[in-house]
Amino acid sequence: MTRDAHDEARELIALQDLSIAQQRWLQAHLDECVGCREFAEDASHVVRSLRSLPVKADPRLVRATQMRVRFHAARLRETRERMWLVGMACLGVGLSATLTVPLLWRLFAWMGEQAGVSTAVWQVGFACVWIVPALVVSALLLLRGTHLTNREGSQEL
Amino acid sequence: MNAATYYFVNGMESETRSIARGLRRRDPDLLDRLIEQYQHRLLRYLLYLTGNRDLAEDLFQETWIRVLERGHQYDGKHEFSTWLYAVARNLTIDFMRKKRPVSLDGLMENEDYTPPEPVDSAPMAWEVLEQQEQADLIGAALVSMPTEYRETVVLRFQEGLNLDEIAAVTGSPLGTVKSRLYRGLNLLVSRLRGGSHDTRRA
Repeated sequence: MTRDAHDEARELIALQDLSIAQQRWLQAHLDECVGCREFAEDASHVVRSLRSLPVKADPRLVRATQMRVRFHAARLRETRERMWLVGMACLGVGLSATLTVPLLWRLFAWMGEQAGVSTAVWQVGFACVWIVPALVVSALLLLRGTHLTNREGSQEL
Repeated sequence: MNAATYYFVNGMESETRSIARGLRRRDPDLLDRLIEQYQHRLLRYLLYLTGNRDLAEDLFQETWIRVLERGHQYDGKHEFSTWLYAVARNLTIDFMRKKRPVSLDGLMENEDYTPPEPVDSAPMAWEVLEQQEQADLIGAALVSMPTEYRETVVLRFQEGLNLDEIAAVTGSPLGTVKSRLYRGLNLLVSRLRGGSHDTRRA
């Protein structure tokens, strides 16, 4: 009997899910080879023992995990709702800004004309009025968003 | 495919799809049920992967948190348990990388090994002793094996995963899984026999 045949037999014993042809070949080999037959018996005993190996999770661990998962799910839901609100607010601000820019532009042009200042001056004034609030709100939103991210990150650790 | 097989396969697919839908919704009731259902199997896998009960329990909780966070990644086309083991495995590797830069092979410290507790099903005293002794013996033999062999043996023979599922969990080719299974079982048998297992006697 070749060394390869023994190796192959033991591989088949370990794999277990065998075709009919493999089962026949293995059976024929085991009928002839005492060593492989002993290995098959030992392997069968080990596998049975492994399957009956008693390990249980502590019910307190299970309850604690369920509570933690529920708590974390609530936090994630809350975060998602907040981010949704922030997104909607951004959308609203963007839309209203787009709609009001032409009106504000005309208003500033009229005010500049009435005040007798140069075009550059009222245009700078318009830019400040239009951009500064958006910058402030963006900064606040970014801070809020970063804060939320950090909280989630620290939760995970 | 006969009718019984058809209904079985369809029923299983419907179950995994229902789990996938629930995970996308982050349904807490579904998660409660899954935690109950997989509690022993997941803990057993983590226990033999890490060899440390406390660490396994920590990772058990973290695994479910990750399942909650990344549940949308489960497509429902495969067994949920396969995906769950993969999540637990990746989490364990991440944890060990943070702790110290080693691979999964270096994960285990034998002195940390905690033998599994026997299930309380009111057996006779001698049965408890015998069961505990057997568990200790096999647990110690498992722990002394290289992690990749131990993991494959545990997934195949304890958790009942097929070879394709083990390949999916470990991210290894099928040939590697077969080789690890063969070598792992060979090693385990020889360790339990208390010496080398030379079976090449005709």
